[in-house]
Parts: sequence; structure tokens; C-alpha cells
Amino acid sequence: MTPQHRWPDGPDETSAELRRALDEASMRGPDDMMLRRGWSAVASPLEPPRARRGFWFAGGVATTAALVVAGAFWLGPRAVELAQSNGRDKGAKNEPATEPATEPATPGPRRLTLEGGVEAVLGRSSIMRIEDGAPRVEGGEVRFSVPHRQPGHPFVVRAEGYRVVVVGTRFGINVDGAPNGPPNGPKAVGVDVDEGIVEVWEAATQRRLARLTPGESWQSPDVAAEAPAAPAAVEPAPAPSEAAPTIPTPARNLRRTGKHGARTLALASPGETATERASAAETPTAEAVAARAALVSGDAPRALQLYRTLAQGTGPSAENAAYEVGKVLNEKLGQPTNAVAAWRHYRAAYPDGILRVEADVSIIETLARTGDSDEALSEATDFLRRRPDSERRAEIARLAGDLYRARGDCRHAVSAYQITLGASRPRDVVEAAAFHRADCLVRLGDAGGADAARAYLRAYPTGKFRGEAAALTSGAGSAPRP
Amino acid sequence: MNTPGLMRAAPAGASLTADIEMVSRCRRGDSVAWRGLYDRYAPVVYRFLSAFGVPSEEREDACQEVFVAVYRSLGLFRGEARLSTWIYRIAARHAGRAARRRRVRGLLSTLLVREPPPPPAADPSERSERLQILDELVSKLSPKKRLVLVLFEIEGVPIEEVAKIAGCPENTAWSRLHYARAELTAMAKRRVR
Repeated sequence: MTPQHRWPDGPDETSAELRRALDEASMRGPDDMMLRRGWSAVASPLEPPRARRGFWFAGGVATTAALVVAGAFWLGPRAVELAQSNGRDKGAKNEPATEPATEPATPGPRRLTLEGGVEAVLGRSSIMRIEDGAPRVEGGEVRFSVPHRQPGHPFVVRAEGYRVVVVGTRFGINVDGAPNGPPNGPKAVGVDVDEGIVEVWEAATQRRLARLTPGESWQSPDVAAEAPAAPAAVEPAPAPSEAAPTIPTPARNLRRTGKHGARTLALASPGETATERASAAETPTAEAVAARAALVSGDAPRALQLYRTLAQGTGPSAENAAYEVGKVLNEKLGQPTNAVAAWRHYRAAYPDGILRVEADVSIIETLARTGDSDEALSEATDFLRRRPDSERRAEIARLAGDLYRARGDCRHAVSAYQITLGASRPRDVVEAAAFHRADCLVRLGDAGGADAARAYLRAYPTGKFRGEAAALTSGAGSAPRP
Repeated sequence: MNTPGLMRAAPAGASLTADIEMVSRCRRGDSVAWRGLYDRYAPVVYRFLSAFGVPSEEREDACQEVFVAVYRSLGLFRGEARLSTWIYRIAARHAGRAARRRRVRGLLSTLLVREPPPPPAADPSERSERLQILDELVSKLSPKKRLVLVLFEIEGVPIEEVAKIAGCPENTAWSRLHYARAELTAMAKRRVR
């Protein structure tokens, strides 16, 4: 039972409106689709949520990047660096000036203990920098052993434009490229896992590129080697920007090359063909995004086509799409009959689907709106029988009551309204049911009709049926009305 | 004056022990517990963000961001307050930051682009004009008063929990609520006239 607001308690219309508004606000909530999308985003919380990248954000990133590059060129490295030089040959002049003062260079691998008990073993030519408490591997190979971490506190290592995220494992990162090379020169990054699970993320786009299990390794594209060939090979990407990811999704774009005797996953090169890109774009997620984009842009037929294709598949995306087909047909294309058929198809495919109730309600409302009251009543009755605990029960019962009343069947209408009165919300639905029940009782010549009308007036002194209800109490309903 | 809270903030059956148990299961990586926590509190967070004035086009993302923050901070939950109180605090902080960002964005776009920012798109799920008017009026309250009013009047959080979320003494929370109610009523009356 949801209590109703006692404040504001003034008798005036403004206070009553404010009370109703507060009641409505306290009943507001996301729809099922929104909750499902939300769950997809947070189910694996190491994945960052979708971020809206406005132009200010892009501008900020660009400015920051420009400052970082300028800093690298003109200011030189400022952070504490832990480095070992492999340029100890005689005559080596460009030995990194980042040698840590507290860590004398030794010729062999060096073992460091970082915050949280993380052990890092630096190779002979490795350069690692600590930034804001997190390590960044800038060159050479560093192997980490990370004690198990609590959820919410993953250990993150940065390497070039990638983030390697772990919760407890043993793994290694190798950044190819001469440590003595230009500070902003392109370098390839490799990650291999001995124990646990490691995720590789692209820092700029916050996309997960790979999820590695023991024995697997991942290699970034060798930018320097591929750069000259890329322009000739790349064809224009497909039009929707979201549908053509710059970094393709791992499932379709990692290939096995068998390095180090273990499965090695390597990113497809930037020079992949348009067909390959289109293939990547046709992943279910991309289709769903494209369908939503089509809806936003007003291209409902395209959205319908995409949803229908997506619905052919399996899993949550297909289920959502199967429901959305009906929604697009009904709301965007004005085809209620086809929409009902689509929702029924959804129900057949997903009898216990998470959108089952939504599908039921959509069918009932659409049938009622199109005047098919027999079917609507049949569906509504079935819903009320099968869903004793549904939150939508009050709405459906009120709709059934209205349909019965419209056909002059006050007895059944009273029963249906009675169900609505058993709930406490939505307030306007309950209010209407209270009045119409009283009205129906009066029409039936039931002596309780006037009492019901008085009860309505007590509960809703400023209700929108107060005039009619007052008439019912004043004897207008003493005899049965047609 | 001592209007009771609606007591809807803590879902039925939720106790501190259950909260602690749920959080520790989440910490251990129990995905079922995490799903349970999400299912229980996502509608609450969404409703709170809506009432607190996060525009409809940002709500979904904001809600997700709150849950990512919740997950990341699970290790910091000490069980000294209800889980709902703790989540409200995170959501309130997030909503406050988002509001500041929006203000700065609006200001910059006014200064630099010399065009007013486009009006927020109407949320098709908000069927009631009454609700839109309420949102508009509530958004005119100061953040502190808005927080207390939204938590107490819309979320039904008891005042002692409201005080914890707002980080103020209970009497201050009552005082803020009093002034928020008065301002809201006055604004509503002005609007009617």
C-alpha cells in the first residue's frame, strides 16, 4: 500500500495539484527496456558506462592531448621514472635521463614491489613510469604478479594508448620500440597472461579490445609498420559512425597467429577492407545501435528492418528486437494489427521473456484503441487471471472495466473496477475506477452506489469527477439508469 | 510538521544485515547478488535522478554511471548506514556534479557560440504535464533544499536518513525541508496566478 502525501495539506486546488504531482513523481520509474540496457552496461562493471561525448568533451580531450604532446617535446619527462637502459654499451650517448635516482641500474631483471603488493619484474630494457599511483609501461617488457583484488579496485597498467585491467593475476606487458626512440613514436603493445583474466582496453575510446585467459596473448597493431600501407587499402567506412568502430570488436577481429606456442590474438590491421568493416558493423550490438539511430532520425522502415534482422538471432538483443518490432509498427508506422501480430510472435518465442508483461499490455491497449473490444477483453481477462501480482494489473483492470461499461455490462465493469481499487496506483487510474464503479453501481440500482460515490468524494475531494459523484449522491442514482 | 516519511526508500524486508550480506556477496564477485542489487535499486536511483532534475536524455547514462560508481566503491561500504542511504549519497553526488557540468556547458555555449542551448527534449515516458511542472519548480530550489525535499517527499526517506545523505544534522534537514516546502508552494501558487 502506497501512502499518499499529507503535505501539502491545504484545501485549495494548488495544494491538491501539488499533492498529485508528488504522488506521480514518487511512482515514476524506468521502463523495462531502460533497465535492461542499464544492466547490460553494468553487468560487467569493469566496462565503463557509455559516455556521451559532446564536443566540449572532445575539445577537452584534444586540448589535453595537445598539452601532453607539447609537454613531451618541450618540457621533458617530469614524473618519477623507473628505468633501465640497455644502452650501456661503450659510447652510448643517449642513455635515458630517466634513470631513477633511488634505484641504481643493474644489468639483470629488476623486481619491484608496487602499491597493493603488486610485484613487477622489469626486463633489461624496460621503462616504467608511475603516474598517479598507476604504472605505465613505456618500453620493454614488464611482468606483473597481482594479488587478488577486491571488486571495484582493479589494478590498471597503461601502455601506449591501452589500459590493461586485472583483478588478480600474473601477466606480462611488452611495449616494442626502442626506449631511446622519440617519446611519441608509435610502439606496439603485447600482453600475455600466465594466470587469471586480463582485459585490454583502448584508453581513448574506452572500448574493451580483448579479454585474455591463461595462455592467451594479445598484440596491438604495429602502427609504424602498417602506416604506409594503410591509406591505399582503407576504403571509406560505412556511413553510421557508431556502426563502424575504429577499433573493431574483439570477437570478429582478433585472429590466432600462434605466437610463443600459445594462442595469440592480434588486432586486425587498420588496412582491413570495407567488407571486413561492414562485417564488424553487423554485430548485434551495432545493429541495435543503428536501429535506435534510425528511429531517432525518423527512418522507421530502416529501424524496423534492422530490428527484424536482429530478432532472427538469439539472446537478449534478439528478444528486445522482437518486442521493438511491434513497437515500431504501432507507434511509428501506424500498423496496429501488424504490431499486435508481432507482439504475439514475441510471446510465442519468449513465453517467459522479461518483456512479456509489456507485450501483453501493449496488445491489450492496442486492441482496445483499434476498437476490437472482444479481443481486448479476452486478453485483459486472461492477463488478470495469469498475473495476480503484476504492477500493471490496476491499469488493465480499469481498461477492462471501461470496455465492459462501454458495452453496457455494468456488472462485469464493477468487478473489474473493484480489482483496480485493490491497488493504490496509478492514482488517476484508481480515481477513475472509483468513480466509474460508483456510477455502474448506481446504474445497476445498487444501494451501495451512493455510498461508493460518497467514498469517492471523501478520497478525492478535488477529483475530476467530483461534480458527477456529487450528483450520484444526491439521488440521481436512486433509480437504475440505462 | 512531523510528516512521516513514506518509508519507501528501503525496499520491504531490507535490513542492515541483509544489506551487508548482499554487499559482501557482491565483493566476492557473486554476479547474482550484483544483479539483485541492481534490480532492487536501479528503479530507485532512476526515480531519484529524475526528481533531482537530471534531464531525461541524460538519465539513463547517469543511472548507469551511478551503478558503476557503486560497484567501484563496494569496498568502502562499512555497513554503518543502510545500503539505500549509501546509494542515495552516491547518486546525489553524481547528480550534483552533472548539474554543475550542465551549468558550465550552458554558460560556455552561451558565451562562445552565442546561441542558447537547445531546450531539453520531452521525455515520452513522462505522460503528465503535472509532473513536468513539478520538475520545473523543484529545479528552481537550491541544491540543498532540493535534495531534502526530493528524498523526503518523493523518495519517502525518513528524515534521519535524509540528514545522513545530506551530511547535516537532523534539525537542519527539517529546517531545509520546511523552507523547501514553503518555496515550492509559493512557486506553485505564483504559477497558478
